[in-house]
Amino acid sequence: MKIDGTVVRGDHFSGNIAEIRKFAVMSLSWLTVIFVAVWGVCWALGIFIPMCLANSSFDFAAILSEVCKALTPIAAVLVFIPINAMFMVLMERRALALFTRRNGPNRVGPDGALQTAADAVKLLLKEDITPTGADALMFTLAPIIFFAPSIFGALPLLAAVTNNHKLFQIVDLPTGIFYVLAASSVPVVGIVMGGWASNNKYSLMGGLRSAAQAISYEIPLVLSLVTICLLAGTLDVVSIAYQQSGGLLNWNILGGGALIGLNKAIAALVSSSGAPFAEVMNAYYPYGWLSFVGAAVLCMCTVILFGVYLIGACAEINRIPFDLPEAESELVSGYNTEYSGIKFAIFFLAEFTNLFIVSTIAVVMFLGSGDCPLPTWLNPLSYPAVYEPLAKALSPVLSVLINDLHLINPPTFWAALWVIFKTYSLIFFAILVRGTLPRFRIDQLMDFGWKRLIPITLVIFVLVAFARGVINFHV
Amino acid sequence: MFNLIGSAINGVKHALGGLYQVKRGLETVAMHTWREPTTEAYPDKAPELPPHFRGRLALTVNPETGENLCISCRQCERVCPDKCIEITANKSTETNKLELIDFKIDHGLCMFCGLCTEVCPTYCIINTNDFEMADYTRSSLIYDLKKLTLTQEESAYYFAAKEMPLPKPKPAKPAAPAAGAAAAKPAAEAKPTATVSPKPAPESAKAPETTADKPAKEVEKKESPSTDTPSVN
Repeated sequence: MKIDGTVVRGDHFSGNIAEIRKFAVMSLSWLTVIFVAVWGVCWALGIFIPMCLANSSFDFAAILSEVCKALTPIAAVLVFIPINAMFMVLMERRALALFTRRNGPNRVGPDGALQTAADAVKLLLKEDITPTGADALMFTLAPIIFFAPSIFGALPLLAAVTNNHKLFQIVDLPTGIFYVLAASSVPVVGIVMGGWASNNKYSLMGGLRSAAQAISYEIPLVLSLVTICLLAGTLDVVSIAYQQSGGLLNWNILGGGALIGLNKAIAALVSSSGAPFAEVMNAYYPYGWLSFVGAAVLCMCTVILFGVYLIGACAEINRIPFDLPEAESELVSGYNTEYSGIKFAIFFLAEFTNLFIVSTIAVVMFLGSGDCPLPTWLNPLSYPAVYEPLAKALSPVLSVLINDLHLINPPTFWAALWVIFKTYSLIFFAILVRGTLPRFRIDQLMDFGWKRLIPITLVIFVLVAFARGVINFHV
Repeated sequence: MFNLIGSAINGVKHALGGLYQVKRGLETVAMHTWREPTTEAYPDKAPELPPHFRGRLALTVNPETGENLCISCRQCERVCPDKCIEITANKSTETNKLELIDFKIDHGLCMFCGLCTEVCPTYCIINTNDFEMADYTRSSLIYDLKKLTLTQEESAYYFAAKEMPLPKPKPAKPAAPAAGAAAAKPAAEAKPTATVSPKPAPESAKAPETTADKPAKEVEKKESPSTDTPSVN
């Protein structure tokens, strides 16, 4: 809008509904394709084949069905990663186009929906070049080492995001989050290897920067998750996910369980059948005002921790504003300058998969995993009077799918739906940050990591350790 | 001790201020989602060009009668910094006036400065809105009279769009207005699309032109294919 009130072309708000609709349709159809494909593979491998084998007189039938079941999580991840990376690249490009008032890719397929699929085909068909003077073995190994952790590192999260579905219990570790963090610090080795093996100064600089950055930012990242584990009292991601069920007030981002008592007390007040309000409050907050202060401190601390986690994760996966390892203006393209064809595709794939994994960790650790944000006492679907008629009306259609074929597992379905929604919202936020913030300078990066984030997380860790003493958790 | 507390408070203030600025940035970028893209969908949709856009050069005809407006005064040829205009004219023995034989513009040399259109006394040579002139050879960028002349409808559109005064009817030829009136429909308001087809149909524009020395013209054209041959009077 100009000062005199005339509207410049395209400068009025809500003039972009068509593009937003295209973005939404593209995202929803891609998500449907991804998760139908992934669940189809899981179901075929983990449920359908064992079901067929159950009645056979074949000798190895039992062993074969067990093998199939055991391979399901791996198959799920292997199917998921490439399709998801294609979608995320497309989503990023379309979303950035929205933010910068462009159209984005709109040529291949309907509204450009197949652009990244075409890109993938192009990358796979390209010549695979190893530069002269490069260490061929290391050069080839680097993308593999970079990519491998995103396959095996995220496995423990599968059980947490599917509400502990029986197919994925096999990958549920008692020290799940520890394993995930350990695995997620491996890729930096791949980056340094790639940078060194390329025989290129820019690649080497990129690799070294990446190592420095990963070391600096892993500390606040891990400290923030450790603090959450301290509050939860466990390292098992499934337990952490379960502790947060029951609505927004139970989530770790709001006090890490400090508000569970409040939630229960309000639930008692609303239902007016259980224990009285004051009694529940006393059970959870035994020290009066001191407990309330503790709860307030915990809420504040966990919100800050969530922010620290997001910042640390952004730096860990080399995303803007922390993309110094591939700063185009200084380092051409950083550690993957010399890579082309399929090796470059693997680097690319791993980067976007890492973004997805850190978002999933944030969802599991902070945002209640597959939990509906509405508190149970506010959610109409949690009252039998509402959901029983609904269930009865739908049962003739769904019972075949649920009980006979096991194609739909309602608890897993809803949990997965919420996880998908939350994770992709976080990814969208990461894209928004990418569209907004300029890149850090290397000294600012180190300053911010060592002199700001690490002290903050340490102070919060101590605060939380004391504050949790005045509240009863998970009784 | 107080110093420490004071600096801690200062630090928190700084952090909150920084976060506020980041929030403002994120908000601004996010709100851009609701704004229409500024991208031109060019090959799909023709761009809306202003009438004074300096595109391909062309020669107008009288929108009412259809006769060529060029009086062969050679002012455009003289003013052209690139020397890309070449006019061939012949002095008629009957009327003692210059008669246009051929008009060549080398669009490969032209830099679209528009000086020729400014000096033209009859608003004959103009810049059109057309810019799609890509071709396979340099020689095909040399446009001759046939390729340069616009149709009556196109001329009418550009006379209206550029707000140029319509040409006065020529008093010397009594036959021409009658023939023109018979051939031409009343000036068409129907506006041609912004991108005119690169090769305007020349038949209707050429029709009322002088046909007396046509054979001579054809011969001359074949004899002087290059640009730097001196014009024949």
